[in-house]
Amino acid sequence: MEANPAHSRLTAIALAFMAVIWVSPFSWLFLNAFNTASTGQLEIPSAVGLDNFAQAVSGNAGRQFLNSMLIAAGTATLSVVIGIAAAYPLSRLKIPGRNAFLWTLVLLRMLPSAGVLVPLYFAAQRGGLLNQFGVIIALTILNLPFTLLLLKNFFDTVPIELEEAAYVEGASLFQIVTKIVLPMSRAGIAVVWFFSFTGAWNEFLLPLIFARVQDAFPMSVGLYAAFGQQGAVDYGFLAAYSIIYAAPAVGVYFLLRRNMNTGFAGVGVKG
Amino acid sequence: MLKRGFLTTVAALSLIAAAAIPARAEVSIMYMESFAALIESGIEKFEAETGETVNAIKLPGQGYDQRIALDLSAGTAADVNLIDSFMVSELASAGYLEPLGAMAAEWDQYQYYLPGLLEVASYQGEVYALPTDTDVRMLWYDKSNFEKAGIAMPWEPKNWADILDAAQKLKDAGVQYPFQLPAGTKQAEAATMQGVYMALLGADVPEDDRNRLLNRETNQWIGDSPALRRTFDLYHQVYVERELNPADLNYATDISAAVRQALADDNLGILASGSWEDACLWDCNNPPSREERDAQVGWTPWPGSGEPGTKETTNISGGWTLGINANAADKDMAFKLVTAIFDEENFKAWTLANHRMAVRTDISESPEYTEDPFLAEATALAADTTGRDTVPGYQTVSALIQQATADILDGASAEDAIQEYHDALVDEFGEENVITYE
Amino acid sequence: MKNQANPWLTSNLLVLGLGMLPAMLLVGALLYFTAWAFAFSFTDLALVGRKAVEWSWVGFENYERLFTRRGFLESLWTTVIFVFFSAIVGQSVLGFLLAAALRGSASSIRSVVEVCIMLGWLLPDIVAAFLWSATTNQTGLINQLIVVPLGFPPINLINDYALPVVTIANIWKGTAWSYLLFSAALDSISREVVEAAKVDGATPFQRIWLVMLPIIRPHIATNMLFITIWTFTYFPLIFAMTGGGPGTQTQTLAVYLYLQSFSRGNLGYGSAISVAMLVIVGVLSLFYLRLLREPK
Repeated sequence: MEANPAHSRLTAIALAFMAVIWVSPFSWLFLNAFNTASTGQLEIPSAVGLDNFAQAVSGNAGRQFLNSMLIAAGTATLSVVIGIAAAYPLSRLKIPGRNAFLWTLVLLRMLPSAGVLVPLYFAAQRGGLLNQFGVIIALTILNLPFTLLLLKNFFDTVPIELEEAAYVEGASLFQIVTKIVLPMSRAGIAVVWFFSFTGAWNEFLLPLIFARVQDAFPMSVGLYAAFGQQGAVDYGFLAAYSIIYAAPAVGVYFLLRRNMNTGFAGVGVKG
Repeated sequence: MLKRGFLTTVAALSLIAAAAIPARAEVSIMYMESFAALIESGIEKFEAETGETVNAIKLPGQGYDQRIALDLSAGTAADVNLIDSFMVSELASAGYLEPLGAMAAEWDQYQYYLPGLLEVASYQGEVYALPTDTDVRMLWYDKSNFEKAGIAMPWEPKNWADILDAAQKLKDAGVQYPFQLPAGTKQAEAATMQGVYMALLGADVPEDDRNRLLNRETNQWIGDSPALRRTFDLYHQVYVERELNPADLNYATDISAAVRQALADDNLGILASGSWEDACLWDCNNPPSREERDAQVGWTPWPGSGEPGTKETTNISGGWTLGINANAADKDMAFKLVTAIFDEENFKAWTLANHRMAVRTDISESPEYTEDPFLAEATALAADTTGRDTVPGYQTVSALIQQATADILDGASAEDAIQEYHDALVDEFGEENVITYE
Repeated sequence: MKNQANPWLTSNLLVLGLGMLPAMLLVGALLYFTAWAFAFSFTDLALVGRKAVEWSWVGFENYERLFTRRGFLESLWTTVIFVFFSAIVGQSVLGFLLAAALRGSASSIRSVVEVCIMLGWLLPDIVAAFLWSATTNQTGLINQLIVVPLGFPPINLINDYALPVVTIANIWKGTAWSYLLFSAALDSISREVVEAAKVDGATPFQRIWLVMLPIIRPHIATNMLFITIWTFTYFPLIFAMTGGGPGTQTQTLAVYLYLQSFSRGNLGYGSAISVAMLVIVGVLSLFYLRLLREPK
């Protein structure tokens, strides 16, 4: 876009510099992950190996990975499905005060989860939901305000004329939604799904207090196995474990990346 | 396409997860990772003896307190729970715990428990939990830095002035952390126990509990007293007035690792901490040998302030306990599990291997235990120890104390910190439950 | 927007209503929990102990204490600084600049920078906290690579400049969202508009200020609103890095709330703090929404 090549090169150098600064904190993570005698200090490893990774994937790690996947994918999918079902009517029907309603919900969600933790826990206990399904529902509830607002905004950008045309040609409501509205807002759905996924992936306190058996813990709880006896932290384990821990979310990001860029354009439309 | 794929994955994963959850066991127990060695071998023994299955849930230390509180109040707690001793009376007062007296009377090993430690786990005269271990508190010091600062060893400070004096010399000799005195909210209970309470006990005469947070006779919290003033003033001198220690170790991302690192790098002068440090001191991955430890580090009891009539040395003890849920389905079975864990053979092996201080005379008087020079000396210190003010509300008061030390670190005067502390106590407990000593 | 004559909607109102039902049930649950949090703020409910069972109503006492006790106002000020510099200035402006700079860059450069930014976003908070303390402490990266080689004594950055350090760490962690949003928004501006401005002789600065910014104003407002809300309540990174210290230097409202609710165990007071936070952000949101709704 820039006409001036010197200017563009300058931008590139500035960006490269930026990137270097941005990744430099990661040096600690990788130096410790591959250091078999890690002390948590920033130092060049004297012994390099994969021991920490071997340790990180042993024991409960496999089950915890599955639990994390279940909670994160379950929350993201449930949020999106429930969100779509409600956001489409909210977008298309002229319900008075719907915008104020959605913004109020977003605002209410600001009450920190510490504030709602106690009633949430008691409700889950009464409903027999102290399990992973309960975690998924709780996280979906907490996600819902953002999900509804974003999805409604995305649906607002789909031109209603297309739906009209489809109706004239005899399409049913279900067909209109699945064949026109959803594909056209695929990008937005990807954004919502991704953010619900990463949010749930990183959730620590809810799965910790909801799980009734040890086998139900996700990886975010397993991370704290690094904080061991007498307050000694196994930094090598922690670093290796967190690389493995962050990898799926990074992977999901790259899978959805192309979708997300267009999806984000819909985030900012009129509230 | 994407979504259908995920739905299938979710369904598949739910099946796997559902299939893997074991059937409800007869007895359940919840404990922290760091007690795994003691509890897991006890569980094995219990299962072998009774043929029951134990549903054990092991948690990381992070979030453990919240979970215990929520679980017990919602009635979803395990039958047997590992509980920090200071929470016992609080939980018992809310009716969450089962009194153990009647069941324990029939257990032949109950007689060996030290009465003082059982008292810590009691509420209104009833024992609600059995201790796993205890500790004593002292001042550790780095010998090479003391040499550098020209302080005579063995170091035997007689009063606070001696400590401050040594800290000043260490500071002048260029030691980075001359006197690491736990302070602030991130240190949590450590700031109260290893710091404030150790000083407080020696800050005034013991009569009428003038050297405590609570008047145990009348059950009133002490909102203002000469002892509190002197203690906060000590903090003010160390962290503000004389700048005898930078605050940052109290706020490190991983405090104990930062402290160990400072010790390893010879950056530490005096460290207010406890007997558990001896297990590994500066390197918990490869614990140094006894000789290395003794060559590098020494310890001395906390002296009193030096005010007339105060204690010469002070000490306070804590520790963890096992308690039984008041809603446990089969309390006798739950207690049986507790006794299996605390059975002499298992308990003694763990106590010795982990260098813990024994809570029972049958262990503390055994030859293996008395042979260990550190444990023997530390246990001598325990002869004159006390426990926390284990009445309901302690946790809140302790948090307020931590807040007060944080305010001092921020530069608040001891006077302001006291005022704030007093007002917060009144907020929590009402005017009639807070007293002032002149 | 207009649904007067949309027969596929009007004839299916029941179906649409049924579709909204699950979401409305969950919203009901959310409102229910929130109502509890509101109610708690008028009680002396405690986390453990007797007051957890036998709590009582205390009227506005908790709210009075927000102003008469040390802590709330100080933390509010810290939060304002933290939110302003890390979210509004840091994440927003940096995100926008990156998006604008990368708009014309080769896709390889763009990918590399995007990956870097996303890694920060995706790393668990506790690990990010270790990374940043390892970067900024006395033996950390900045000291080893810059300060000491230049001949200065090492500086304990995380202790001496705690608030700036956590602010920068939060910028590092959270810029991804603003960047992605602005990047998508800028992509949606048609090239012709920008070219036309160039032909008219507009400088790069004028092109951004007079042409691009007005077009993406709704994005800016939405972004501000979201990151303000998130940063106001964000707590794991600060809590793990400094625990609110040294002293109370980095004690934001979210940290203060946690300490009061869980360490001190006073859920009533904690609820009052969260309601107060809600009111503050509510006022800010009204301001942002005005920005969003302003015609043209």
